[in-house]
Amino acid sequence: MERKKILKFAIILMFGVLTAGLVNLDLLQGSKFRRLSDSNCIRLIAQSGARGNILDRNGDIIVDSKISYDVLILPQELSRIDHILGEVSRKSGISLNELKTAFQKNYFSSSIPVTIASNIELKKAIILGEYKLEEPGIIIQPRPLRHYPYGALASHVIGYVNEIDRWRLTKLEDYGYKTKDIVGFGGVEEKYDYYLRQEEGGLSVEVNHRGKFMRVLGFEPPRNGKDIQLSLDLRIQKIAEEYLSGRKGSIILMDPQSGEVLALANYPNFNPAVFVNKHTRLIAGLFNNPDSPLINRAISSSYPPASVFKVAVASAGLELKKINLSTSFLCRGYAMVGARKFSCWDVHGSQDIISAIAHSCDVFFYKTGLLLGAQNIHDYALKLGLGKSLGFELPYETGGFIPSPLWRKMDKFRKWFDGDTANLSIGQGDCLVTPLQAANMMAVFANAGYLPSPYIIKAVGGFDLSARKKKLSRVAFKKSTFEIIGRGLRAVVSDARGTGNVLSGLGVSVAGKTGTAEVSRGATHAWFVGFFPYDKPKYVICVFLENGGPGHAASVVARQVIEAMNKQGLI
Amino acid sequence: MRNSFLRVLLLALIISSLGILSIYSSTYQKEGAPWQDIYQRQILWVLIGLACFFIISQLNYRRLWDVNYFIYGAAIFFLLLVFALGIIRLGAQRWLRFAWFNFQPSEFAKLAVIIFMARYFSRKSVDDISLLSGKFGIFRGIILPFIFVAVPMLLIIEQPDLGSGLMLLLVFVSLLYLTNVRLKYIFTFIFILILPLPFFWHFLRDYQKQRLLVFLNPNIDPLGAGYTVIQSRIAIGSGGLFGRGWLSGTQSQLYFLPESHTDFIFATFSEQWGFLGSALLLLMYYLIIRQGFIIAQRTQDSFGRLLAYGISLLLALQVFINIAMNMGLAPVVGLPLPLMSYGGSSVLVTFIALGILVNIDRTRSVF
Repeated sequence: MERKKILKFAIILMFGVLTAGLVNLDLLQGSKFRRLSDSNCIRLIAQSGARGNILDRNGDIIVDSKISYDVLILPQELSRIDHILGEVSRKSGISLNELKTAFQKNYFSSSIPVTIASNIELKKAIILGEYKLEEPGIIIQPRPLRHYPYGALASHVIGYVNEIDRWRLTKLEDYGYKTKDIVGFGGVEEKYDYYLRQEEGGLSVEVNHRGKFMRVLGFEPPRNGKDIQLSLDLRIQKIAEEYLSGRKGSIILMDPQSGEVLALANYPNFNPAVFVNKHTRLIAGLFNNPDSPLINRAISSSYPPASVFKVAVASAGLELKKINLSTSFLCRGYAMVGARKFSCWDVHGSQDIISAIAHSCDVFFYKTGLLLGAQNIHDYALKLGLGKSLGFELPYETGGFIPSPLWRKMDKFRKWFDGDTANLSIGQGDCLVTPLQAANMMAVFANAGYLPSPYIIKAVGGFDLSARKKKLSRVAFKKSTFEIIGRGLRAVVSDARGTGNVLSGLGVSVAGKTGTAEVSRGATHAWFVGFFPYDKPKYVICVFLENGGPGHAASVVARQVIEAMNKQGLI
Repeated sequence: MRNSFLRVLLLALIISSLGILSIYSSTYQKEGAPWQDIYQRQILWVLIGLACFFIISQLNYRRLWDVNYFIYGAAIFFLLLVFALGIIRLGAQRWLRFAWFNFQPSEFAKLAVIIFMARYFSRKSVDDISLLSGKFGIFRGIILPFIFVAVPMLLIIEQPDLGSGLMLLLVFVSLLYLTNVRLKYIFTFIFILILPLPFFWHFLRDYQKQRLLVFLNPNIDPLGAGYTVIQSRIAIGSGGLFGRGWLSGTQSQLYFLPESHTDFIFATFSEQWGFLGSALLLLMYYLIIRQGFIIAQRTQDSFGRLLAYGISLLLALQVFINIAMNMGLAPVVGLPLPLMSYGGSSVLVTFIALGILVNIDRTRSVF
């Protein structure tokens, strides 16, 4: 019968439709539904490990983490929530209102545990931990927080930690960074975030349709971040910060034989703990402060080197044989360059190279500079590591700037005049260097011929990096050049009329160069860049005071630092 | 033929065992005493069902011809009784309370209507195998039988149980089709039914309207009416090729899937046994229905033939609609999956129907 066959066919069709439906759901979309099913019933409770510690060269802790406790709950039926919040409030002493507000604020979806209180005391955490036996929906989660035992010490080297911002997130997403991650800003925290960063572990638990805890499915232990050992010496760092404090500027101490930075202090500084404790007002104050306490002045700002630059001019003159030990110029308090009168800060009379460095005679260097020409000065400055970034390990390093006639022509479409050469010869004009560059340049004269690449990271995760650091590069000057300039630098301190004479009589022989940089507004910048002990240099020191007055002011600070170091037996 | 008896018995036994396994898996984790013995009750019902199957398969089905009006009357009586005494569960008044179990008369009414239809369109004489419908006009061919079907149908829809009510209508239309009522009449009838549909919309209850709307787009109300379908699709889909394994389904065991042991038992089963298990289950249902069609085809007696067709169609339509609704291919209506879903009435009536089916095949050779 025809109709029976049609009906039979209809039945087969019905089962065909069902099979097709199965193929669609199970095979074609199976993985999607499996995922949906898992997200229905699996909750991940993250547990973070501790961020790596930051240590000084002797292994002493500069920054570590301390454990704080958070209270989370799995959102269940709302009536139960009120009851649980009430119990938590009673046991922990946190006001019920506070808990409720936190719950409402942090509630994201029924699938994610809600943080209702953070950073509670250990004692309360233990009490709540016992309550967990009755109410498995409660989670007490230890969370390591950044801890700064020395407050603001070395804050610019360390940086601070905060929630990741949008810009960083877009760049770092591919490396496993997520929204709300805590990442480093500035300093080692930022540059070495990838190593310092902890790996999150956690608990995966199964819950039912009401979010009620059923069982633990798995546990992945969190992993701590790698420790980073710096080349900083905590003792020297403390001394540097102590004598800098209150004055804008920076102090750098460096090992001239290796390029290790032993102390890097800046003022104004900041206490990174305000970012951990989320003191919104204090944070806003840091960002709005016109003195920019977040800026690492030692590497991120550049200033006119002033007389410190004369060291570069002198070595260029000696190397190119424009001057020698017997060359002398007469300082009458000024020199004529073309029709313009360029004055010296004093009347020095007849000056040879040694005394010109010692007295910081401008006239001697105007004349030397004019003999050399601007391009030569520029080239020799670059040989001494100025004018370009040092490739230092902290972020936001600036390269400084050494002008040249070529740059003037190509960039400004203007001619270079002899007056510009005279200005450049005493480190003024467009010339800019960072305090670290100044210290680095001085290291060449301290170790007689090697330009270091300064570094501050000694080891990462226990792996010593010093063998991998860039070797010191040879600066191919004549031996006599280093000897002559070295004598000049020593004379700055030892000569009774030397600009750095305040540093004499310390029990340790210091050599160096002062600088007083004219600025368009405000008081002059003060520089002292030198090394000690003179016979066997162990330290290069750079003291820079922004608007700090004459170079003498910097020399006084340098004296205090060296004195204190000497007293502690560090030299 | 013993052959069909064994085949039907074996298939029904396997399917109902799978049903018991699924019911157990969906309830064993749930707290509270009533959940714990659900699978035991189902075992009991399957055993009672088997007993009925054996007894009915021994009794000559032609006696149904004689008691047909009594059965029909009893069905109407129980349906009316539901309105008076029925207990309300899940927002519907579908059950009659007996000593220790609840009886669902609508399940019984489905079978009664099929018996009635088969009786109505055939003659008593076993020698005259032609159907009456060829001689019927539109009144005796459609309108009169429809009135007989419409009474229980409306009673069921009023419970409210739209699914079972419409099931009766579907079985009625397909039986009309089989009894050689002229196509012209059938199409007219369907047309007249469809015409006032927009008007019926206003008679639907709110939840029924919502279910229909949600069927068209489950995402309009993911936590309300659409929730079940979404969760059921997730349950089926998460099974993948091999399933998550028995007692490892999270959707059904952790309450995400409502009604996981009754109307949505297929999703529960499919989550655990995957595509392969589900396809095998479909195959078994197909085989049992095919067996019904084979029995109908080789039966000379017109009453027996129509009865066999009716029973097979009832099974096929219920299986199809239930599983389609599990997959989100049909709107959610309260229809059990025969032999699998938890529910005494459904299990019992299905086993009785299968018993009749087997008996038709056995008695055939007597003539």
